[in-house]
This record gives sequence, C-alpha cells and structure tokens, in this order.
Amino acid sequence: MENIITNLKQFWGYTGFANFELNYLIMIVIGCVFIYLAIKKDWEPMLLVPIGFGILIGNIPLFAGLNVGVYEEGSVLNILYQGVKQGFYPPLIFLGIGAMTDFSALIANPKLFLIGAAAQFGIFGAYAVSLALGFDPAQAGAIGIIGGADGPTAIFLSSRLAPNLMGAIAVSAYSYMALVPVIQPPIMRLLTTKKERLIRMKPPRAVSPTEKRLFPVIGFLLTAFIVPSGIPLLGMLFFGNLLKESGVTRRLANTASGPLIDIVTILIGVTVGASTQASEFLRVESVKIFIIGAFSFFLATFAGVFFVKILNLFLKEGNKINPLIGNAGVSAVPDAARVSNNVGLEYDPKNYLLMHAMGPNVAGVIGSAVAAGMLLGFLG
Amino acid sequence: MKNLKSFLTVVGLTIALGASAQSQESMRINEYLIINTNDFQDDFGQQSSWFELFNSSYGTVDLSGCFITDDPDNLKKYRIPSGDIATKIKPRQHVLFWADNQPFRGTFHVNFDLENAKEIILLKGDGKTIIDRIPVRHDLPANVSFGRTADGEGSIDGSFKGWDILKSTSPSTNNLLVNKAGKAEAMQEMDPYGWIMAVTSMSVVFLALIILYLIFKNIGKANVKAANKKSSATKASSDSSAGQQCYSEVPAETYAAIATALHLFIEDNEAHDEESDVVTQRHTDRTYSPWSSKIYTLRQTPQVNKRN
Repeated sequence: MENIITNLKQFWGYTGFANFELNYLIMIVIGCVFIYLAIKKDWEPMLLVPIGFGILIGNIPLFAGLNVGVYEEGSVLNILYQGVKQGFYPPLIFLGIGAMTDFSALIANPKLFLIGAAAQFGIFGAYAVSLALGFDPAQAGAIGIIGGADGPTAIFLSSRLAPNLMGAIAVSAYSYMALVPVIQPPIMRLLTTKKERLIRMKPPRAVSPTEKRLFPVIGFLLTAFIVPSGIPLLGMLFFGNLLKESGVTRRLANTASGPLIDIVTILIGVTVGASTQASEFLRVESVKIFIIGAFSFFLATFAGVFFVKILNLFLKEGNKINPLIGNAGVSAVPDAARVSNNVGLEYDPKNYLLMHAMGPNVAGVIGSAVAAGMLLGFLG
Repeated sequence: MKNLKSFLTVVGLTIALGASAQSQESMRINEYLIINTNDFQDDFGQQSSWFELFNSSYGTVDLSGCFITDDPDNLKKYRIPSGDIATKIKPRQHVLFWADNQPFRGTFHVNFDLENAKEIILLKGDGKTIIDRIPVRHDLPANVSFGRTADGEGSIDGSFKGWDILKSTSPSTNNLLVNKAGKAEAMQEMDPYGWIMAVTSMSVVFLALIILYLIFKNIGKANVKAANKKSSATKASSDSSAGQQCYSEVPAETYAAIATALHLFIEDNEAHDEESDVVTQRHTDRTYSPWSSKIYTLRQTPQVNKRN
C-alpha cells in the first residue's frame, strides 16, 4: 500500500498540475483567445487555429528531461520546429503563395508596384523605433519586418537575425495580420477625403498568357540580382508562380498551392505556437515587440495611402488611383485588398476595388521579400 | 544494355570526379611559418614549421587524394591520405599541416620541411593540376608567419599579391583581425538611429519595383499593340470569308433561352446518364484575364454558323 502511495506521489510530480505556474495559465488563455477569434470572429482561422492550439501544446507545464518540449533536442516537436528554426518552412509557403497568386492586376497596371514599395516604410520605421527602444540592429531588423505584414517572411528573417525573439515576432506578425480589418480602416478614412474615396478606377486590361509567363522569370532575375540575400523567398515565390502560369505544370502548381502549402501552414502554425513557452515568451521584450508591431502596421498603412495621394497629383483625370487601395501595399494577401474593397463599398456600393487592390497587395509580397533580403544582407 | 550501363557509370564517375575536383579548387594555401621555436606545438609537443590551408567556398571540401609538394619537379611528393574524416574541410574553415618531414605521425604531417623548401604547391587528385602555389620566403624571422591578409583572397599563381607578413601567427584561425565587429555591430556604430538603413533599403525596394514597373509597362504596351494588330487582321479575314458568317452579336436572352431549354431537356430525359463514350479535346486559347473578364466562369459563347 505504501508503495502505491509513493508511486502515486511520484506520478503527481510528473503531471502538469504539479509543475504549474501562473505564466503557463496566461499563455493558455492567450492560446484560447486566438482559437476563439479564429472560430467566432473568423479572423485568419487558417493561422490562428494552428497557432492558438500550438500555444496550448507549448504551455503544458513539463518537468525537465521528459524530452517532449519544443526546445528539447530530438523531441518530435523539436524536429518539426527545425523547419521554423532553420527557416525552410517560409520559402515553401512562398512557393504555395506564388502558385496561387494571380499577378494579372499588377501586370495590367504596373503603377501599382510603387504602392507595394511605399508600404514597406512600415518595416524601416519599426526598425528605427526598435533601435530607439534598445534592441540591437539584428533584433531591430527582425522586429521591423512585422511591418511587412507577412508571417513567413517574419519567421524567415527572425530565424536568421534574432532566433530568441522569433516566437514573439511570429505571433505578433500573425496577430496583426488577423487584425488588418480592424487596424486599417480608421487610418484609411482619416487620410482620405470623400471625393477621393469615390474615385472609380479604369478596369484593368486583359493580360496575355505570355506576359504572365514572363513575369515570374523577369521578376525573379531582377529582384534576385538586386538582393541576392532574398533568393530563398523570391525564388520560391516566382517559381511557384511560373508553375501556375506555364500552363504545362498544372499538377505541380496544384500540389504547391494546395496540399503542400496546407501541410506547411499546419506545421509552421503549430510549431510557432508551441515555441511560445511561457518562460521564453512572457518577457518585457515581447510587450515591446507587440507595441512596435502595431506601430509598424499603422505606419505601413499610412505610407501606402499617403503615397497614392501623392501619386495622384501627377496622374491625369481618369487615370487616378483610389487611395483606399493604398493600404493593400502591405503583403497581408488577400485580407488587405479585401479591406480596401469593403471600405470602398461603404462609400459607393458599386465601386468594387478588390481587383485593383490585389495589385499593390501582391506587389507588397515582392516588396517585403526584397526588404527582408536587404535587412539580411546588412545585418545577417 | 551492358554498354549502356558502362557508359552511364563512366559518365556518373566523370561528373562526380568533376564536382569533387571543382570544389577542391576552392582550397587555398593561407599562411605558413618556417622557423618555429616559440609558436604552436603539434600533438606530439613538438614545434615544427607549418602551413595552413583554407576552404574559401561555402561547401565542404574533401581534400583526400590531393597532393602537396615543396618541389616543382616532384608534384606528387605528398598525397593526402583517403579515409580520414578530418580531411573533409567545412565551409570557410582552416586545416593545419605540419611540415616536419615525419609523415608517419598522421595525415597532417607531410614528408618535407619548409626550411629547405622552394615553394608550397597544392595540387588536385590528378597530380598535375595546380590549385595554388606560393614561394617560401626564407628571409622571415623565427616565429613570424607569412599569409594572406584576408583569408582565401589574393593570388594563386605564386605571386605575393594579397600576401604579407602577419602581425601575429594565426594557425587554424582567421588571418583577419579575429575581433572584427560583426555586420550588426558595425551597422549600430555607423547608423545608431536607423535612418541610413531606412533610406538605403527603401531606395533599393523602390528601385527594384520601379524597374519592374518600367519593364512591364513596356511589355504591356507592346502586347496591346500586337493584340490590336492581330484582332484587326482577324476581323479583315472574317469579313472576307464567304463560306461562313459569324453572328457574334446574339442577344444574351437567346443564350439564356437555349441553355434553359437544354437544361430542362436533360433534366426531363435524364440524358446526363447516357454518355456517348466519346471524349473530345479541344484547345482553347484563353487570352483574357480572370481579373478583367468573367469568361472563365462562363460557358464558351455559342456561335451560330449559317450553312450554305
């Protein structure tokens, strides 16, 4: 009998209850909030459900040596986490994004490239603020990329520049991406007049298959020659797009844009979530990162919308761009474009801006990958 | 079949050897010290002359099978043994050879010493192709090494370009100042507020996307021009065709009526279950974009042909 009691006591020591601390509870609540937002509010469910559940997985109190934690070398979670740590999940996601993205809106109206470039101010503004808040340049670069509103890019860059901050950066990036419909509209309304919001843009011209096939090849060669450090992201993005547009690799494109990206999204979401162990995540730095992340989204949106207003000064009547698509320069595809469309419809129920906004939106993906390459080149 | 197998084996081996040889070409003689009285000791506690090789590539290089010599008339003087895992040199790493004329002490002890050497020559596994060579300077004081000022950089033809007397010996480590600040630290020093980084990076992002804008603006213009030309040519040819007349301006209601009738017919007769067992394939050239056209989501526009 005594042995049984001793055994039970020993077993109690193994349980999560015995190792419980308040920090774990806070993280579990955060994970549950993510899951709630995804299911009830439909905010980026594909990301927030895996990340939210990953947070639950990563915050079960463990005793040392069980070899199941995400940071314990050789554990299953640790092996899956290598894709994040070594940075090979993000390029695979970019392959899928390339294979599912139609760049026609951008090719039809190449002016929209410039909006995608302008919105990258968010990244470098956040970089400067991070430096001012005491982060070192490599950490500041990793935090700044949150302003690109691109989760895979944020993970890729932080795995290279600041691996110890990756959890906070990834969760911050994905959280704000999910909050794009909340963050952006007030800034868009603040910066635009009613007249500007009613601008109707010319329908884009038809884009030939040849142009679509040329785009990934020329786009890759040019951007990779300018920023070779961005090759993993740019290469996979444009390669995926070529698979889609070549017309002869439909099966490969379908795999890249379907099962492959789904598998990698599941793995990246769960492992990033699991990497937010309370001991690693609940720090003053994480709070700072969340504040800087919010600032970078504001700045990126501001820069995109404001840039369109400036651009309009140089465009003839009839060719003007509705500034409501300026917010889409951040690369949260397609949410930012959807926000442009919804805000536009509030003021003119027949003014559908979605296809116009997709132009800066996909340009933003290219722009943020180039910006990430720059940061990696200077700080890596 | 046998011939094919042999051919493939030969091709495979040639490619493998070529690849291996190509990576061996990245190796550089990086530093040497001739008179060693108060410098680095080998595992036997002896101080001998040494030289260092450096893998200047970003891939692992296997040195086994390469030759090292001090005599241009005897290029195969010392063959680096195979089967020693330590001959696999990691990217941007160094390996130290003891020139103590005692090769029986291990892979990294060669069968000559530098005090009597004319030059150090590193050769590929064929014993003919010279990867790198450097004359031995006999005017060096004791415990002073001669090396590349930046690892792996400079001449490979025996001239002293990029070589100098080093301030301190650095066997198996970088010749460049070891405590050189990293990129991030250098950036912090140069740009403490981040403005230089912001301006530089934004300029590059804009430059890249402006070039893309210009390229695709012109491609688009050319494409529209070509399409207009093609469509006017097609129009002219269809106008002149006497055999067929195309009524493209059929009212949408007509299509809707035909489609409804067909649908009802198929529904009523359950015709869908009676397949013809004939599969046809027809190439359609879709020149429209889903962004500007709903054509992808619609059935192909029926055309009414009038027979003579």
